[in-house]
Amino acid sequence: MSRFFTTGSDSESESSLSGEELVTKPVGGNYGKQPLLLSEDEEDTKRVVRSAKDKRFEELTNLIRTIRNAMKIRDVTKCLEEFELLGKAYGKAKSIVDKEGVPRFYIRILADLEDYLNELWEDKEGKKKMNKNNAKALSTLRQKIRKYNRDFESHITSYKQNPEQSADEDAEKNEEDSEGSSDEDEDEDGVSAATFLKKKSEAPSGESRKFLKKMDDEDEDSEDSEDDEDWDTGSTSSDSDSEEEEGKQTALASRFLKKAPTTDEDKKAAEKKREDKAKKKHDRKSKRLDEEEEEDNEGGEWERVRGGVPLVKEKPKMFAKGTEITHAVVIKKLNEILQARGKKGTDRAAQIELLQLLVQIAAENNLGEGVIVKIKFNIIASLYDYNPNLATYMKPEMWGKCLDCINELMDILFANPNIFVGENILEESENLHNADQPLRVRGCILTLVERMDEEFTKIMQNTDPHSQEYVEHLKDEAQVCAIIERVQRYLEEKGTTEEVCRIYLLRILHTYYKFDYKAHQRQLTPPEGSSKSEQDQAENEGEDSAVLMERLCKYIYAKDRTDRIRTCAILCHIYHHALHSRWYQARDLMLMSHLQDNIQHADPPVQILYNRTMVQLGICAFRQGLTKDAHNALLDIQSSGRAKELLGQGLLLRSLQERNQEQEKVERRRQVPFHLHINLELLECVYLVSAMLLEIPYMAAHESDARRRMISKQFHHQLRVGERQPLLGPPESMREHVVAASKAMKMGDWKTCHSFIINEKMNGKVWDLFPEADKVRTMLVRKIQEESLRTYLFTYSSVYDSISMETLSDMFELDLPTVHSIISKMIINEELMASLDQPTQTVVMHRTEPTAQQNLALQLAEKLGSLVENNERVFDHKQGTYGGYFRDQKDGYRKNEGYMRRGGYRQQQSQTAY
Amino acid sequence: MASRKEGTGSTATSSSSTAGAAGKGKGKGGSGDSAVKQVQIDGLMEMMRSLRHVNIDHLHVGWYQSTYYGSFVTRALLDSQFSYQHAIEESVVLIYDPIKTAQGSLSLKAYRLTPKLMEVCKEKDFSPEALKKANITFEYMFEEVPIVIKNSHLINVLMWELEKKSAVADKHELLSLASSNHLGKNLQLLMDRVDEMSQDIVKYNTYMRNTSKQQQQKHQYQQRRQQENMQRQSRGEPPLPEEDLSKLFKPPQPPARMDSLLIAGQINTYCQNIKEFTAQNLGKLFMAQALQEYNN
Repeated sequence: MSRFFTTGSDSESESSLSGEELVTKPVGGNYGKQPLLLSEDEEDTKRVVRSAKDKRFEELTNLIRTIRNAMKIRDVTKCLEEFELLGKAYGKAKSIVDKEGVPRFYIRILADLEDYLNELWEDKEGKKKMNKNNAKALSTLRQKIRKYNRDFESHITSYKQNPEQSADEDAEKNEEDSEGSSDEDEDEDGVSAATFLKKKSEAPSGESRKFLKKMDDEDEDSEDSEDDEDWDTGSTSSDSDSEEEEGKQTALASRFLKKAPTTDEDKKAAEKKREDKAKKKHDRKSKRLDEEEEEDNEGGEWERVRGGVPLVKEKPKMFAKGTEITHAVVIKKLNEILQARGKKGTDRAAQIELLQLLVQIAAENNLGEGVIVKIKFNIIASLYDYNPNLATYMKPEMWGKCLDCINELMDILFANPNIFVGENILEESENLHNADQPLRVRGCILTLVERMDEEFTKIMQNTDPHSQEYVEHLKDEAQVCAIIERVQRYLEEKGTTEEVCRIYLLRILHTYYKFDYKAHQRQLTPPEGSSKSEQDQAENEGEDSAVLMERLCKYIYAKDRTDRIRTCAILCHIYHHALHSRWYQARDLMLMSHLQDNIQHADPPVQILYNRTMVQLGICAFRQGLTKDAHNALLDIQSSGRAKELLGQGLLLRSLQERNQEQEKVERRRQVPFHLHINLELLECVYLVSAMLLEIPYMAAHESDARRRMISKQFHHQLRVGERQPLLGPPESMREHVVAASKAMKMGDWKTCHSFIINEKMNGKVWDLFPEADKVRTMLVRKIQEESLRTYLFTYSSVYDSISMETLSDMFELDLPTVHSIISKMIINEELMASLDQPTQTVVMHRTEPTAQQNLALQLAEKLGSLVENNERVFDHKQGTYGGYFRDQKDGYRKNEGYMRRGGYRQQQSQTAY
Repeated sequence: MASRKEGTGSTATSSSSTAGAAGKGKGKGGSGDSAVKQVQIDGLMEMMRSLRHVNIDHLHVGWYQSTYYGSFVTRALLDSQFSYQHAIEESVVLIYDPIKTAQGSLSLKAYRLTPKLMEVCKEKDFSPEALKKANITFEYMFEEVPIVIKNSHLINVLMWELEKKSAVADKHELLSLASSNHLGKNLQLLMDRVDEMSQDIVKYNTYMRNTSKQQQQKHQYQQRRQQENMQRQSRGEPPLPEEDLSKLFKPPQPPARMDSLLIAGQINTYCQNIKEFTAQNLGKLFMAQALQEYNN
């Protein structure tokens, strides 16, 4: 189980090879009987583990011995001391205990000690005789052990009920148990500890021998798990006992009832295991020739296995009697199946089938939801595991299964609020599966859903976006969203804030890019909404995506502690705002978050999201008619010429040589699925048009300015490309349209410009893609008119002495106040040297601007000035070398301070040189 | 000249009937190192062949080039003309300005390299020192050869004929007052050259600075060396061996000065152009003014 989660979560980096290694290590010992399989180092690691365990257990047994001695001489003080030491030692041995289960001898000493203390407590006579120290120690020890034993209650009760329960299963326990039955006998006790130790040290061989005896081909691993299960059964039964609290009789009765099936069932389990193992072997067959012989030995059994599959199906009938026991079997089986995970030969498809069968069995037997949930978790995990390669994606049928499975799982979880699911539930002890009153199952629904989302993205990435298939896959998106929504609801009830944040983010990621047409419609027709039919009303009832985003994001802003989730949430929120033309909210959020400052430190997917957001913001600004903002937002993305790459919408061919295969894979995984793409042509068009609206008037205003800078390099590039064309036909592409429009605008010909920007072709290519196309077009026409007017004035103001505003308003089809305001603005900004003559409604030019020739002459003069200065320096140099001859005369026309200083310096130098 | 062709890179051959510089024999186009030159030579050969074909007595006396606002003083022209003049001493280059001609006055000029420049070019040493020694400045790079155009009588008759037939409007191109464009262009070009000149000077300046710095270093090094040697002498040790100073201090590469000479020449041409142009235009403006006053 835990193995899955590690592979599941860090799957990004883990290669299949290392994954395998990870799996083989703990399992290595399982093949103790198959020496061919067992490599040297595996044995070594095993030994290391054993010795650590031995050491701890030795410590424990030593302490137990002293306690028993103290008990014998009624030295309670000593008992107390030793008990405390024992508690500490047990704490140290915790890790081993977690692995191996609570050692029986430890339980026994706890039980015995408690009994003994109770005995002493009861014994009034003895107590009176006791010295003061002892009496005090007695009471404290009694309290302590009561408290302490509460943790081990289940173990102790089971031990008390049936001290010899597993006697015939395990030699160690056998030893211990027999010891337990004669617990008064102190001498034997000491010996038993020793034997225990001895047993431990020779454990592998002894065990295997034992099991050889017991059943021919039982694996050690199955034995181990069996072991665990047995402990488990004990605990489950005792738990149910303690729940009932009726009395021991019933429990004992049930115990006895169970007893029979136990052995019976054991055989069953063995058979099942055999079958399973044979199956595994069968898979492995091709791989290892050595194994062939062994295989041959078991050939007969292998045959039986094939028949054994129905046996699995039949099994339920046998289990019908005792539910608890079936839990154990099912879980044991589950563990078995899981052990095979990640191994090379394992048939993953078969594994999934097996697990599904198991679920069926569990369901048919009403094994309780806990088991089903657990198995479901594993099925989903195996489904994810099905593809060993990260690059490949799930097959459609697998994907469907996965979705169904998750849905079923959610059904169960919703139906049974008493099931607790969590990643961390079972970390201490693997064997506590489903026993407590509130069912506790290890597994994280959130991780599963996140993984599901990843798989979905992968599927979308790997499907041709222009095929019908893609559309089919896209239909699953609704399902994915539904699942996420359900998980969200579930986690809102049960999850921690972090989990809620994560699921919220997932929800946000599935919401932010979708345009909310319903809300949009509602906005457009607010009054009619009320008069609409009932059905429409219901349709409209669904939460506005804006409200939803607001709610989810706010929660994340408030609760999230990881920076990444918050960053993503903010970006998505901005994107969503921008998509719905809420420019000011989007902009404010962007500015407040200060993301622009530190986004370069984020990881690439977040950067891609940031780029997408910026682009969306720019497009939003454009729709609002804020050309400058639009241009600024899009500048970074567009100026690099790598918009495609920056938005994660495709790889550039150019850089193909620069990256190796590995990098390419990584980059490929970063790609945004097609349905999230932002139309690049639209993007470029928006950028170019806004650049045109800014640049053309600017160019006209600074026609003759030497230090003119360009606002948009890319726009200029396009213009130059257009100029270079030997033959100019009517524009075809979007860029050509914009270039042609720019040329028309340069002449102040807004009508031509308009016809180039807005026509059939451009509508189809760009403008119709906006949700409010007509509004955008109207805005655009107006912008073109205004900017054309400005350009016209810049370009031709030198021709006019005065110009009537009415004429201008006729020319540009703008109303008089607008013309007035534009011209006033230009005058105020000192862009236009003119004044308005109010009574006649004319603009009177001042003619203070120099003409083109004058400008040129001025520039020439400036250049000549610098030329002269440079020339002087040459001369100065000469003069320096020839020794300060002209120094005094030259100062006259030296105005530059720095220059003079340098000259002086040189003179000094030359003087020292001579 | 009886016939002329437009376009850069074509060759002019003067038929024997043409006056002007008479040559002794045919010249080769020189070593053509650029593609343009190759075309030039091909064109030349073609022309020669054609002339021989129609059995015309001809001499190869140079080549011609059309120009744009008088920007012809370039390295390419210098190289070409040098190779021509090297092969055929009497070669000239004809510069034809179609724009100016379109404005009403035929602009056709013949140039030759001065003997001084020929010397320099032969040496192929354009370092500042060499140029200084040759005592060459931009004024003395090219010498203009006066042009006399002589047509056959038949052509003269034709010309007269045509002049009578031509419309009046064609003649008044000469009096056009719309001159700003031409002037602007000239200014623009002049400005570009000034920029280039400026850069060139900066380059030269850096070179000078580097040289002087190095001189100083060299000097210091020598002094230090001397001091050390003195000390060594006083201690009775043998003096340090002499090292090759030129190896230690590699003098910086002096920039070629020919380009700046050419630019200066070009600037000069522009200035003359502008001067000429403005003089003409001023005259025209005064005339226009007088005309207006008279009309009023």
